Amino acid sequence: MVPGQLIFVSGGVRSGKSTYAESLVRQANAKRNVYIASGVARDQEMAERIGRHQQDRAQDGWWTIEQPRQLSEALPLIHENDAILWDCVTTWLANELYDGVEEGNLCADTPGCMEQKWQELKNTIDALREQALTIVIVSNELLDEPLVAPAYQQWLGTIHQWLASRADQAFEMDNGLAIRRK
Amino acid sequence: MHIIFGGAFNGKRQYVKEHMGLESIAWLEGELPNPGDNAVIAGLEHWIRAQLEQDHSEQEILGAISTLANSTGERIWILTDISRGIVPIDPLEREWRDVTGRSYQYLFGQAQRITRIWYGIPQTLKGDGRDEHLHENRR
Repeated sequence: MVPGQLIFVSGGVRSGKSTYAESLVRQANAKRNVYIASGVARDQEMAERIGRHQQDRAQDGWWTIEQPRQLSEALPLIHENDAILWDCVTTWLANELYDGVEEGNLCADTPGCMEQKWQELKNTIDALREQALTIVIVSNELLDEPLVAPAYQQWLGTIHQWLASRADQAFEMDNGLAIRRK
Repeated sequence: MHIIFGGAFNGKRQYVKEHMGLESIAWLEGELPNPGDNAVIAGLEHWIRAQLEQDHSEQEILGAISTLANSTGERIWILTDISRGIVPIDPLEREWRDVTGRSYQYLFGQAQRITRIWYGIPQTLKGDGRDEHLHENRR
């Protein structure tokens, strides 16, 4: 089988990247549109917002998978010829780095921990691509300011560079304008 | 004079190493070469920060940068964008962003070529007849 299209979309907060990514998924005309959400509700307002988005997408025929960490768990739920939107890399990365915080062994502080998760992520994205028609991956631009969380930002840069090199298409969103970089 | 510009961890140094054929040129991190010397200058923002911490004025800093930029020799400046965050309360933090931004503006004006790197993907912002702006890039 021909691998699916991998499309990377990155932009600032409220740059219109999610809307654009959704339109890319719709254009794929897949049998099913799947939304993999990595955001976790940390307060009531966020929970309501996530619920509202879920309802909107459900009415629009989307299938939502909540996957804050371990993207590989979503893999068995993917059908052939699905179109997938994963939103987003930045929340997934934060969730994975903070993994183990309750047990007192933070992944970010454990040598080799994030390296292993990163290898797993690469394998999962390649596997998703084998299954699906299209996979659109959304992320945020957080590297154009002085470093506030160097380990987080370094991982984010590594992931973005890999995605940009792996992708069939890469877009930078600027206020609703999709600038095609690849 | 060529500038490689972009956010942190976007692959700027790797791009310079892989695409610019610089076998015999000095590579400086966070320091300036003597005027007239050939060099790759990376981490200019750290050099600026150190100058401010040693109580050097903006005028002195911009003076050193312009003296170097105007001297003979071939130089590649790897400039990291630090301009898109929140303006901090701490005066030194603010001054650092201000002076770095004004230094970059000066260098952008002087450079013959500017390449922006977005996660390893280059874009010519200025020079080589490949400007992506429709109007002429002005000094």
